[in-house]
Amino acid sequence: MALTEDRVTFWFGCNMLRHAEMIRLSIMLLERAGYDVNTVGGPAYCCGTAHDHQLHAASNMAGRTVSRFNEAAEKDGRGMVVTWCPSCHMHMSDIMAPGNAARFDIAHITELLADRADRLVPLLKVPVRRRVLLHRHMGFATHVAVNDRVASLLSRIEGLVLVEGPAHPGHMCSALATVPGALKKAASETWSAAIANHVDTVCTIFHPCHRELVVLDGRNDIGVRNWVQLVAEAMGVNASDAYRDWRKGAAPDIAAIERADPSRYQSLVEPEIRNAPILPADN
Amino acid sequence: MAQLPPARAATTEDFLAQSGPELAALCTACGACFNACPMVDHLDLRGADPQATTDGLRRLATGQSAPQETVSWVGACTKSGLCVTACPEQSAGLNAMLLVRIAKQRALNATRQLPAKQDPTLFPRLKVYARLQLSDEELNTWL
Repeated sequence: MALTEDRVTFWFGCNMLRHAEMIRLSIMLLERAGYDVNTVGGPAYCCGTAHDHQLHAASNMAGRTVSRFNEAAEKDGRGMVVTWCPSCHMHMSDIMAPGNAARFDIAHITELLADRADRLVPLLKVPVRRRVLLHRHMGFATHVAVNDRVASLLSRIEGLVLVEGPAHPGHMCSALATVPGALKKAASETWSAAIANHVDTVCTIFHPCHRELVVLDGRNDIGVRNWVQLVAEAMGVNASDAYRDWRKGAAPDIAAIERADPSRYQSLVEPEIRNAPILPADN
Repeated sequence: MAQLPPARAATTEDFLAQSGPELAALCTACGACFNACPMVDHLDLRGADPQATTDGLRRLATGQSAPQETVSWVGACTKSGLCVTACPEQSAGLNAMLLVRIAKQRALNATRQLPAKQDPTLFPRLKVYARLQLSDEELNTWL
């Protein structure tokens, strides 16, 4: 099948599986920007970046994922892989592609949406009266100017006042978790900047940052939203956030836990969603 | 939007094995990447010798053991990327962040100066999250 620039594969990565609503909103935004989207992710599409200690296995994972994207390009005309996760994006660009013959191009979702802002802006009909601090990292700028792209999109929302937060090290919060004190420092600086700038919303760009900060939602009368949720809100689309609700004490409904296997839910998910916030209450 | 680079090896494993010595050969161990790295302060390594630390970077990338300062530093890479533009050899083709990444892999797998950290529960946990939230159709078509 011939490649077309409108047919894309949306590769959401692995850890986004915590945030199903954000995946669905991303698909909605891409579709409203005029793209025909096939969505993939999870362990079967692992890039291998988290497996540096198992080089052979990581290499096989990378080869398998590139093969699948090559097949999507050849058989389904999807010559563009659209990323969400900066780890996946950088790993594909720097390591996977040079080690596997990739027959597709790559773009970050914010690049595609910002490039088709003319199609999206008319849909942003609902004023979002929020003063928003953007939680930023400096790292991914080597590949995509993601902070600028997100700021550009948010600046088109009527009523929304954007304040740029401090630029933290790393490409996202999960990278900082391995360095003693680094993650807490970044979270603390973001929250302090939010208070100092009198914002009512902290906006995350990436999922690990959202995972860390969303438990603080409501503290100091400051909400935490991801950028896709704010864009959706401006389109009048409900942007629920189950992960936020779970982190703040709610639980998935019984039927969902039954479907997922109660024992696995209790051993694998419950400890994470009941984990203490990165910033203590008196921070 | 970017065109991906052409393949230079048959697998990522082969590419990394080939790139480590290539990048190390371009590196002059000037210390600019180390000086630019924001993690150096977090690790309390600002007093370390930048040239000696980055010479260790070259050593690791070629599979040789390196000083502890180098090992600590590469082990704490958070991909801030400031090393990439700080490197005076960038125009010659040296991607400093990739060199650090390869050095870290060598410290894990070749010199074994870094302990392997793995979370065997990651994928099982993500599958539980998927089953908590995704419809049958999403489970079948996305994953």
